[in-house]
Amino acid sequence: MATESPGPKSRYLQYLEIITGSLEEKKRYRQYKARIKRLPENYRTAAEALERYLMHFGPADGAGAMTMYEDLADLLEQGAADRTPIRDIFGHDPVEFVEAFMANYPAGQYRARERDRFTSAVARAAGEGNTREDRTL
Amino acid sequence: MGRQITEMLKGTLEGIVLAILSGRSAYGYEITAWLRDQGFSGIAEGTVYALLVRIEQRGLVDVEKVPSGKGPPRKVYTLNARGRDHLEEFWTTWSFLTGKLEQLREGGN
Repeated sequence: MATESPGPKSRYLQYLEIITGSLEEKKRYRQYKARIKRLPENYRTAAEALERYLMHFGPADGAGAMTMYEDLADLLEQGAADRTPIRDIFGHDPVEFVEAFMANYPAGQYRARERDRFTSAVARAAGEGNTREDRTL
Repeated sequence: MGRQITEMLKGTLEGIVLAILSGRSAYGYEITAWLRDQGFSGIAEGTVYALLVRIEQRGLVDVEKVPSGKGPPRKVYTLNARGRDHLEEFWTTWSFLTGKLEQLREGGN
């Protein structure tokens, strides 16, 4: 891939990023993947399972997602260095852990869209924020 | 640990961690170890880590990266002024909640 240019992005690069997403994020993602690859096998297996879950339910892209993956790599590298047992890191209910972890980052597109939709549907049902008078009480 | 304590901890872990940090700065690992020593044996290190990420994002702690002999640099968390305010608020809420619960237990409303 191209080297980072310090100046303003060329028109070509801007155009390319519209199609492919931010190159900076792609670079951060590759660095994260390389860090995961270097982990001992059982930590790596857990990391990949976690990543799959995050791909489905977490932020799919953007700087927030990259920060999330980097924080995840920090946790697992530290755990591997200390030889913290996998179960001690993830606890008895790994879903509880991953949900607490994920809540720190922007919601994924799918979740965010459905949350907005739900919130405005309730506001409409409550007769707020629009001119339609559909309250019965 | 039972289901009930796990549920109750969810709402109070932040206050507990801030209270620990009000005494002294600590690594994430030390906080988890302290909690386990105190009988919160079921607490996952990842859950504590997620909480530390959150209080860092919200600016309640100052973080210093300290090189470690093994593995990546460790983060040392120190409660800052904003964190102290937040902890004060937690104790106020806690007193309110426990006061109300005591009333319920004693049967008065």
